[in-house]
Amino acid sequence: MSSQSPNGEGRTFGRPRGSGGGSGGGARGGAGGRDGEKGKDGGKRFFFRRRKVCKFCADKIDYVDYKDVKLISQFVPERGKILPRRMFGTCAEHQRKLTEAINRARHIALLPYAAE
Amino acid sequence: MSERVYEIIFIADPNLGEPEVEALGAQVQGFVEKEGGTIQKREMWGKKRLAYVVGRHREGSYVLIVASGPGALVKEVERRLKVTDGIFRFLTVRVDEELRKAERRKAKRALADSKRKPRPGAPAPREQEVQQ
Repeated sequence: MSSQSPNGEGRTFGRPRGSGGGSGGGARGGAGGRDGEKGKDGGKRFFFRRRKVCKFCADKIDYVDYKDVKLISQFVPERGKILPRRMFGTCAEHQRKLTEAINRARHIALLPYAAE
Repeated sequence: MSERVYEIIFIADPNLGEPEVEALGAQVQGFVEKEGGTIQKREMWGKKRLAYVVGRHREGSYVLIVASGPGALVKEVERRLKVTDGIFRFLTVRVDEELRKAERRKAKRALADSKRKPRPGAPAPREQEVQQ
């Protein structure tokens, strides 16, 4: 045990030998305890999240215009990426149209492909 | 075949003066008309900063042309845009179908709204945000 403790840290993954495994188990036990705590907390905690509503549906925008940079840029973060629709709560139909509009706007340099 | 509506948007060299860009716009309109299209609208957006560097340009003059005509027009117009000096980016989008769909949807919604009786004591309908 004492002879193996120096390399005990290097062996955190893998389960090599009897006594070494024991020390590894101890480490894992500690991690497990933390997980358990988190689980207990998470079970009791009540997450209240406001339900996101598709902006395009709410504002009754039928045609997502690629020329309307002001509107589209609300859905494009600084980095320039198109985010998944879970981020903005857009409905599938409007997300599709939005993507199309963003790509068009990118082509004519109204929106960036990536941040500079 | 039915007429199709296209939006042709192109970016011209920012070093060109306004009359020159105007002339380019007229030239492109000429391409469209030669192919049997009709111009519905032309918009000069003026000089705008590009979102990224295109070639070596950081800004460009945008011109938008809305035209209707046969589908074969696009091929020829795009070919000409490609070889025209002073234009370094363009995009042609067919818009008639999408706009018609949007129109239909709006009409449908208006109809549904007029049919539905507001609940007594319901709050006033939400004002639509002003788009500008």
